[in-house]
Amino acid sequence: MGAIRFDNVGRIYGTKQDGFEALKGVNLDIADREFMAVVGPSGCGKTTCLRFVAGFDQPTSGIVSVDGVQVTKPGPDRAVVFQQFALMPWKTVCENIELGLRNKGVPKAERIKKVNDILALMSLTSYADAFPHQLSGGMQQRVSIARAYVLDPEVLLMDEPFGALDAQTRVVMQEELVRLARRNPRTVMFITHAVEEAVYLADRVAIMARQPGRVKEIIDIRSVREAERWDDHEKIEDVMDLESFVHLRTQIWRSLRQEKAMEIA
Amino acid sequence: MSRKAAVGSATIVAALALWFFATTMTQMISPGRFPSPADTWVAFKQITGVGYANGVLIDHVVRSVVLVTLGFLVAICTGVPLGLLMGWSRKAEALINPVFLVIRPIPPLAWIPLAILWLGLGDMAKILVIWFAAFVPSVINAYTGVRNLDKPLIEAAQMLGTPFSTFVREILLPGASPMIFTGLRLSLQASWTTLVAAELVGAMTGLGRVLNAAQQDLFPGMILVGMIVVTLCGWVMTAALGVIERRALSWNTATRAGD
Amino acid sequence: MRIFNTQNVIVLGLIGFGGFLGFWTLLSVSGLIPSLFLPSPASVIERFVFLLSHRFAGGTLIDHLWASMLRFGGGFGLAVLIGVPLGLLMGWFRLLDDIVTPLFDAVRFIAPIAWVPFAALWFGTGIGGPIMIIFAGAFPPCLINAYRGAKFADPRLIEAAQMLGTPDRRMITEILLPSAVPSIIAGLRISAGLGWQSLVGAELIVASTGIGYMMVQGQGNVSTTTVMAGMIGIGFIGMVIDIALRRVEEAILRRRGLSV
Repeated sequence: MGAIRFDNVGRIYGTKQDGFEALKGVNLDIADREFMAVVGPSGCGKTTCLRFVAGFDQPTSGIVSVDGVQVTKPGPDRAVVFQQFALMPWKTVCENIELGLRNKGVPKAERIKKVNDILALMSLTSYADAFPHQLSGGMQQRVSIARAYVLDPEVLLMDEPFGALDAQTRVVMQEELVRLARRNPRTVMFITHAVEEAVYLADRVAIMARQPGRVKEIIDIRSVREAERWDDHEKIEDVMDLESFVHLRTQIWRSLRQEKAMEIA
Repeated sequence: MSRKAAVGSATIVAALALWFFATTMTQMISPGRFPSPADTWVAFKQITGVGYANGVLIDHVVRSVVLVTLGFLVAICTGVPLGLLMGWSRKAEALINPVFLVIRPIPPLAWIPLAILWLGLGDMAKILVIWFAAFVPSVINAYTGVRNLDKPLIEAAQMLGTPFSTFVREILLPGASPMIFTGLRLSLQASWTTLVAAELVGAMTGLGRVLNAAQQDLFPGMILVGMIVVTLCGWVMTAALGVIERRALSWNTATRAGD
Repeated sequence: MRIFNTQNVIVLGLIGFGGFLGFWTLLSVSGLIPSLFLPSPASVIERFVFLLSHRFAGGTLIDHLWASMLRFGGGFGLAVLIGVPLGLLMGWFRLLDDIVTPLFDAVRFIAPIAWVPFAALWFGTGIGGPIMIIFAGAFPPCLINAYRGAKFADPRLIEAAQMLGTPDRRMITEILLPSAVPSIIAGLRISAGLGWQSLVGAELIVASTGIGYMMVQGQGNVSTTTVMAGMIGIGFIGMVIDIALRRVEEAILRRRGLSV
């Protein structure tokens, strides 16, 4: 189980009277095992929303809950994959992945097995004893994803996980994530500003608007993907060529562009 | 009042109360080891009134502060130009650096016996020892200041055909001055510590002499008064240097108050 | 412009150093300054070597240096053992920070040397007093740098660790401590320098063994060569301590893939 619920959530920075209203009346439901991508212009507060679920930050009004329980602090049931990887530079790949399991009190033998399984799954086995700085950005992000997945969390929170990667690596990682997510579905909240990425990965896409930040529109992808059998295509570029994909992408782009136009006017 | 300030002042009040409680009410700490607030007050009245160790408090303070200022000025007037020279000219650096590397590891306080041997217990020995103490940080930081100067800035000045004297006055000195001031702060602290130590080793007046006499007389109240005054004087001089620094470097937004 | 190579640097360095020694020798040998007050470099070295195997003021130079280093080890070790953990704890627990910081600020501006009278009164002049003075010199940088290292640890790493459910204890030992290590080592270098120099001060004033004591005795006997030999010994040990700490620093930074 791992259903996320935003109930009329707001966030004001500074004092209530003359503070800056970053988020207002955000309502969003992410079902158990649903992959929800969140897109929006910069400054719309999408990262802040993710940080509420992670428990790094608290809303000033409204409630953020997971399975009906209000989120108050960070915990391993809601694993986060950070844009900048956030791996401990003084720990090896193996030790980084192991940390969460040790915190949970998993016995050593079981830890080793779990870590080895996830290393194999993410093609990291030969890098088990490397330090993060010896790896490329893509490899580091793999470790970061492995660190989150190994905890078998209810909820996976990804904050522009591929934003710091080059274009080629990004495509490979997107394909891998799709495989991972289809095989072992989790509730995922995925922040991105790349529309193609959102359409390719998600079951639904939430479009946010700014000033104040709020959810403007939610687009269903899954029904189209299943009807048009996207998953039969192995390569991302083949999916992106499909008419149904292009249509959805354009629809989201229009919605985002409207925002821009209003901003300029 | 913020939480931080509240907890902070509560702690200070608690510490003072504990001092009073442990020394005066219960005598948990014997008055021969640490003075009670009353003992401290008595010592303070004595040194400001009839005097202690050859003078009243103000005599000791003036003597120590004047000596530090003199020694410090001599040190920076020699150290900073040498550092600038070493930073600017590779030749000068190569020539002087080995000698400097040998002298540098000798801690300031280790010069005290030599200074006393050469010049006795008088003022000149104190100034000499402060000079040695404050010299090294002035040189190092002036040197680093020049070395860290923005290369394009120097090239731009050369491209504009700036004559050397103008260049030194308007590019080199201002550019290196944040580092120079960092060095001056370190120098001043070293000067003050060294003077107190030198006066503890041997002097007729001065705050170190007060500490020394109080130690020999087993007079904890006076020791505490001496320590507090030494600390306050050091703090005031550092703060004064900070004010000068802020005036001199008003163009530099990165300048922070004495830290 | 002529190319400025290593060879030139070495040649100029030798000229500079040779000139310095030559000038010193000249002043001394010519009698311009009585050799009693400015002995020639050769006689200082001679005295240094002599003192390595002959007793002066109760022991050889090695004995005195050894006594000093033991005191230093005691005071510095104590400062590290208390200062670093306390600094890390203050960097993690805000209440502790709010309580300790005002007390610490009130005492840290006291020059270590000003503790001499109380140190002598409380712990005597043998080993306890000097250790306290070294501690007074070495403690603040240990605490401040551990605290800053913990406080300025990358917030993303702390969030990542929180997300992984890391308990407080492990947060300090496995996240904050390693984050703060570069800052702590830098602090240890400052701390060792201040501690070593406070030790010399303490020994000049109160001790009856140690390198500082030997120098005071040399001064009392108007033996300038002994004083200068002592300065060489002090400078040498101080340099060795700093180089050792710098090696540790470089090794740690290299392991993290950071430039030195």
